[in-house]
Amino acid sequence: MKFLDHLEEWFIAFLMAAATLIIFVAVIHRYASGLPIPVVQDFLLRINTSWAQELTIYLFVWMAKFGAAYGVRTGIHVGVDVLINRLNTPLKKKFILFGLLAGASFTGIIAALGADFVFELSGTSSTSEVLELPIWIVYLAIPLGSSLMCFRFLQVSWNFARGGELPVHDHAHVEGLVEDAAEGRQ
Amino acid sequence: MNAFIIFALLIVLMLSGMPISIALGLTVLTFLFTLTDVPVQAVALKLFTGIEKFEIMAIPFFILAGNFLTHGGVARRMITFATSMVGHWHGGLALSGVLACALFAAVSGSSPATVVAIGSILLPAMIKQGYPKSFGAGVITTSGALGILIPPSIVMVMYSVSTNTSVGKLFVAGVVPGFLLAFFLGLTTWILARSKDYPRMQRSTWLQRWRAFRESVWGLLLIVVVMGGIYTGIFTPTEAAAMSAVYTFVIAVFVYRDLRLVQIGKVLVDSAAMSAMLLYIITNAVLFSFLMTSEGIPQAMAGWIMDQGLGQISFLLVVNLLLLLAGNVMEPSSIVLIMAPILFPVAVALGVDPVHFGIIMVVNMEIGMCHPPVGLNLYVASGITKMGITELTVAVLPWLFTMLGFLLLITYVPQLSLWLPRLLFGG
Repeated sequence: MKFLDHLEEWFIAFLMAAATLIIFVAVIHRYASGLPIPVVQDFLLRINTSWAQELTIYLFVWMAKFGAAYGVRTGIHVGVDVLINRLNTPLKKKFILFGLLAGASFTGIIAALGADFVFELSGTSSTSEVLELPIWIVYLAIPLGSSLMCFRFLQVSWNFARGGELPVHDHAHVEGLVEDAAEGRQ
Repeated sequence: MNAFIIFALLIVLMLSGMPISIALGLTVLTFLFTLTDVPVQAVALKLFTGIEKFEIMAIPFFILAGNFLTHGGVARRMITFATSMVGHWHGGLALSGVLACALFAAVSGSSPATVVAIGSILLPAMIKQGYPKSFGAGVITTSGALGILIPPSIVMVMYSVSTNTSVGKLFVAGVVPGFLLAFFLGLTTWILARSKDYPRMQRSTWLQRWRAFRESVWGLLLIVVVMGGIYTGIFTPTEAAAMSAVYTFVIAVFVYRDLRLVQIGKVLVDSAAMSAMLLYIITNAVLFSFLMTSEGIPQAMAGWIMDQGLGQISFLLVVNLLLLLAGNVMEPSSIVLIMAPILFPVAVALGVDPVHFGIIMVVNMEIGMCHPPVGLNLYVASGITKMGITELTVAVLPWLFTMLGFLLLITYVPQLSLWLPRLLFGG
């Protein structure tokens, strides 16, 4: 389980970094190959970076699906909690569980729909426009990501139902402030 | 009738506290399986292709760029610079708070993080100088919301995605209103501080100002990279976002040295999770607006509103009330994604400029962050000041009224939003 957690974190961090670097390199390349430096320019012109946009989109689609699953585990998905916060604790707990299970069923249904869709696509020979990747491999992100997300919802509800804490993401966390407070007190 | 069922279902699901993205998705699925003959396959396709737009990819990049600079060290530099510029006027530290919030929010992109970063450094200093706690809390809570109006702004990218408006124009359009709002918030602060005779600080020398400027300029150049890049056409908005992510990485790690290389992994994971959350809402909001379009709801609503004989002026008033109401319970991105597709066709039919309408929505979102019961900034400020929400609500009132006045100004004087983009882009 720990291993899966780490894998998930590494995976989304890698996708984020990779997408940033790809666009960065593609932009630099576009302008560098315009510079009239002999040899270098010829070399640069031979590299084709037209696939960068498409690849970035696919990297981010994968990041979005797996990041969303990671987000369930860390409680980043925001909801409207004004109303249920005013309820008494047992009732509020029921609503939270309902929400979590609704999440699990939604992602479960999407995973099933997605798997069916990908299965149909895998029979065809359709590919992505520029990279010419088989399209079903690209779209595999949906069933895989949604299944993982469904699993995370179930995991969180199980822990919560057994009296555990609900993961809460602190949207206002800022690095580099703690030492200040400590210094201020001295 | 269908429209009613869709909205009732959505509202009920949302109020049960489940994530907004899930509420949107479940509404679509329920409706799909029970009430309509839109083929499920069409929806499945939307699910895959909903976020496959290069423009949307600006969001993760901007979030990453913001996270590199959302750091106490950067906040401190902005505060030093702001204090050196405006600290010698009435209510010096409070005015610096407004300016520092505007600067920090612009680079970090997160309102609540701005309130925490600037607030936890500045508020203790203000209390030490003899300001009442509520005054400081009021200033920081409201000024922290400036970020979504000053580019680069993620909420604007959301609006542009759901209405096909140019991101570049929206960013440029946000500049004048952003500075104007900062000015008005500062003016309110100044007037209050003058009447209560709050302490002023010693005037800084130009040398000190220059030093403080040089320290903070690396962060501020982010805005120049984004705006300059988009305006001159060197980058597309998404490329500008990616470049700013790389730029902020270099600044944070090699120039400011706030971040050690080992912390980069955490910044990446946090940004990815944040982006994924927003992209997930977008995916489901795309589904939702697809469902609404296929049911003809926006058109029907547009027709209905036109039939009511509502002019532009009263329509915009209704929009403002609706958005402020929505701002009570939801965070900005979700509101824009759900409301923009519905309201936009009507606005266009009534002759409201798309860019102007976007700015109106964004200003509404700003106000929504600062007023109860759910203004996120209020909650965050209550956390750092240890003041209750009711007490804080009273504390923010002068600035909140300033913002409401500003909203009216922005709504009914389109030139404020449109002058600069027209000057730069023509048309």
